Amino acid sequence: MKTGHWMLPAAAAFVGLAFNAANAAPPIKIGVIAESSSVSGASIPKAAQLAADEINAKGGVLGRKIEIVAYDDHNSATDAVRAFQRAAREDKVSFVIASYISEVVLALEPWSARLHMPMITPGAASDEISHNIYKNYNHMKYVFHGYLPSTFIADSVCDGAKDLLVDGHGVKTAVVMSEDAAWTLPLDNEYLKCLPKIGIKVLDHIRLSPDTTDFTPIFNRIEAKKPDVIITGISHVGVQPTVQWAAQHVPIPMFGVSSQATTSTFWKDTNGATDGVAFQTVASPGVPVTPKTNPFTNEYTKKFGATPSYAGYTSYDDVYMIADAIKAAGGTNPDKLVTAMEKTNYVGTIGRYVFNGKESPFTHTFKVGKGYVTGLMVQWQNGKQVTIWPPDVAQGKMTFPSFVKLPK
Amino acid sequence: MKALQILIDGFAISSLYATGAIGFTLIFGVSGVLNLSHGSIMVTAAVVAWLVAGSFGAGAYGGALVGIAAAVIVSLVTYGLVVRPIQHSRTIAREEKEIFVLTGTLLWGIMVQEAIAYIFTNNPKTVLPLIGGVVNLLGVRTPANEIAIAAIAWIAMGLLWLLVNRTRGGKALMAAAINPRGLTLCGFELGSIHLLVWTIYGVLAGVAGVLLGSFLGVSSDNAGQLTASAFSIVVLGGLGSVTGSLVAAYVVGYLESITAYLVNPSIRTVPVLVLLVIVVYLRPQGLLGRR
Amino acid sequence: MRTRNIFLSALGVAVLMALLPFLGVGGYVLGLLTSAFYFGVFAMGWDLLFGFAGEVNFGPSFLIGVGAYTAGLLNHYAHWPIVACVPLGALAAVVAGLLLAVPALRLSGPYFGLVTLVAVLLLQNVIVIFAGFTGGEIGLDLPDVLAISSRVNYWYALGLATVVGLALFALSRSAVGLILQASGQDAVEAAALGFNVVRHKLAAFCISALVSGLAGAMLIFYLGTVSTDSVVDIAIGVQVIIAAVLGGRRTILGAAVGAVFLIVAGELLRPVGQLSSFIVSAVALLVILFFPGGLLGRVIVREGA
Repeated sequence: MKTGHWMLPAAAAFVGLAFNAANAAPPIKIGVIAESSSVSGASIPKAAQLAADEINAKGGVLGRKIEIVAYDDHNSATDAVRAFQRAAREDKVSFVIASYISEVVLALEPWSARLHMPMITPGAASDEISHNIYKNYNHMKYVFHGYLPSTFIADSVCDGAKDLLVDGHGVKTAVVMSEDAAWTLPLDNEYLKCLPKIGIKVLDHIRLSPDTTDFTPIFNRIEAKKPDVIITGISHVGVQPTVQWAAQHVPIPMFGVSSQATTSTFWKDTNGATDGVAFQTVASPGVPVTPKTNPFTNEYTKKFGATPSYAGYTSYDDVYMIADAIKAAGGTNPDKLVTAMEKTNYVGTIGRYVFNGKESPFTHTFKVGKGYVTGLMVQWQNGKQVTIWPPDVAQGKMTFPSFVKLPK
Repeated sequence: MKALQILIDGFAISSLYATGAIGFTLIFGVSGVLNLSHGSIMVTAAVVAWLVAGSFGAGAYGGALVGIAAAVIVSLVTYGLVVRPIQHSRTIAREEKEIFVLTGTLLWGIMVQEAIAYIFTNNPKTVLPLIGGVVNLLGVRTPANEIAIAAIAWIAMGLLWLLVNRTRGGKALMAAAINPRGLTLCGFELGSIHLLVWTIYGVLAGVAGVLLGSFLGVSSDNAGQLTASAFSIVVLGGLGSVTGSLVAAYVVGYLESITAYLVNPSIRTVPVLVLLVIVVYLRPQGLLGRR
Repeated sequence: MRTRNIFLSALGVAVLMALLPFLGVGGYVLGLLTSAFYFGVFAMGWDLLFGFAGEVNFGPSFLIGVGAYTAGLLNHYAHWPIVACVPLGALAAVVAGLLLAVPALRLSGPYFGLVTLVAVLLLQNVIVIFAGFTGGEIGLDLPDVLAISSRVNYWYALGLATVVGLALFALSRSAVGLILQASGQDAVEAAALGFNVVRHKLAAFCISALVSGLAGAMLIFYLGTVSTDSVVDIAIGVQVIIAAVLGGRRTILGAAVGAVFLIVAGELLRPVGQLSSFIVSAVALLVILFFPGGLLGRVIVREGA
């Protein structure tokens, strides 16, 4: 507990004066809340720091440096709420970049509204995040959804599946296999709608517990249905289903969302079992989605020894967008920041960010499609992530290990 | 077909459970300790094996050996740094030593688990399989590694049996489990017996950890679950009874497999938990325990 | 120290704490202490059961979780006001506690411990299996919160911790507390002296359940969501046990101090990120190895004990 708190304001004023005289204004702080021991989460503070360093090297924002304050939430909603309060009340940050877990972001959303603290998530996907803003815009407007909502992710997978699986390999049937979590509810919902539209019949729909360690019974059940493909929706799990899929030579390809597969360490973590796994993402190493993608990936890899996860790209872009918004708002007033963020038109590492307004049910999510952000399908091939879709940026053809069988 | 699949799959997983649980029950039998850092020791073995086999290029076997060695080291450290000081403490009342050992090993387990998560992230790691490929076992496509796992688990348990029944040290160990005081009277040093049992325990937990790592993959997050499952098996079999643990491991392994295959993989542990409650209420000494 | 003096000092500390918001202590520190007080109540409830009744309850989060989820579900679906949900949550925890305790108290030592552990695992499974109703792993959002102001939330938590702390402390120093302690240390002797050991232990279990359920229900209305990782997970129970042992078992008030220490230390260690849990566990381990009496063990010792 604090003692001598009455001295603090005086001391702070003194330090502030000295600081002002000697240097520039105090830094603008951005809080970053994520679990740093998980594969997807670790990239979030690192990428944000990288962006802040670059901005500071060029003189900062409004003559002030950007300072990243990182908090580890251990993927717990309680810890995240506590970190959020600390960020807002103690560390006086101006913006929070928060988590890639929908459950955590949903728990933080009301706090962002209550404390008028602008927040953006670089990786959570649940549609609920933006729907909550839509339902109560005036209260919730401080929240921005800096990643694709699950529904759009599912659509992107379906678009890729149409070209690669249906037209390319005559695939007609699928089993949807998703983990039981907030982000997969709308994902599965949309899978079940869009797969039939592209001519794939869904034979079974499996929602598995994120605590599952033995996937043999699940693969067994899937195989019994004899589908042509497994459409995945996994993020909390990743290594174990992939390793067991390969060890058991499950002859059905896995195609869909597999968040952990987006990092380069996934090959090593699975001892190469991920060979042939195809996953949806928004940017991938070596793929020049925009002119900023490759410089970022190279710089990140040089500095941290591994490529960023999907949330690394967005977290990096978020810092730049926040910096631009602060510039446009002329300061860190939360309401002005929100207005400035809403006017964002920024080309980042994954495409051009333009946020949907309050008239869209997907309020404060970014626009998806040609000219904005588009999805990619990437596949692990011999230790490398190879982009296989869409054709204009593809680096190679889709190919599977020999135990996988496709209709043609 | 499905029945055969359950039979094969359940056997592999049960053998793994048995290897881990036998060490756990042995420690309880000899020194009355429920080691709640058990899961962390298994995870250590798996992660070290993964690291040595992959990053240092030692291959599957080299990695496995170093992983088991790591488990033995952590096991001895657990005894030397946590369990022994509490047992020898003068400030802790006798009837409270049990709760102190429980809390102490629990805290130590968390430390090991957090250290692993810090250095290697909590992402699951897979140990290189000892044997690659799949074989067709009566129509069931089975990874060759799965068969190797069951075989190694049984070899480890067989060696333990030989040790206990055919060597002087092993016999002393069993005697210690039955009556520690009588053994001291016979001139045996209890201290070295403890070192021996914690070493054996380390080997068994290490083997179980490495095998689990190559079978399903292991994350530092699994530590608590692994401890709870060994605890359950040991109580189900009867605390301190090696044969009981062996039987209970197969009951648990098969009950889980049957639930996962025939009902729903998401509730695979529920029937085991219910069975455990029933057994504890009706027959607290466990399936094969002695009172 | 004498019972009366401890009681008065504790009350004094509580009054001083209540004044903190007026002394310029910021909302963040208050928020931190708010969660620490709820944890303190959990830990005090656990200490009553372990320290006095001698029963190692590995599943404090079973009682916490039942209270929290009952209150949360009532608020989420029936939109009942918080003043109705919280007592009903506490009541449900008592009922669940009785269902668990009546048969479980026949067991002892590791068996009792395992059954309480299994109760937590089963509760967690039930919540996940009925995900459509309970929100599963995702959790449920609550329409109501206790208060938005961090000061008011702080006072609620402090008030609860003070009332529960003083009540349990008084109880532990009463004749009932002595009987409990005797039953915990030597049940046979206590029974021989003519005390109904089981009935006293059962009462201790009910009181423990009542305060745990109460605090669990209030905690979720502070957080605004109810999810397994905040009120049911084994990790919550482990923290409660660590707090109680750290603070000094059999002291009641020590458990609250341990909880505050644990949460504040975890927060002070934030700069080391992931390593904070490692350091907190290491410190706790050192305390139980070298100061088995805990933080308050030396201060709050019964005369002659």
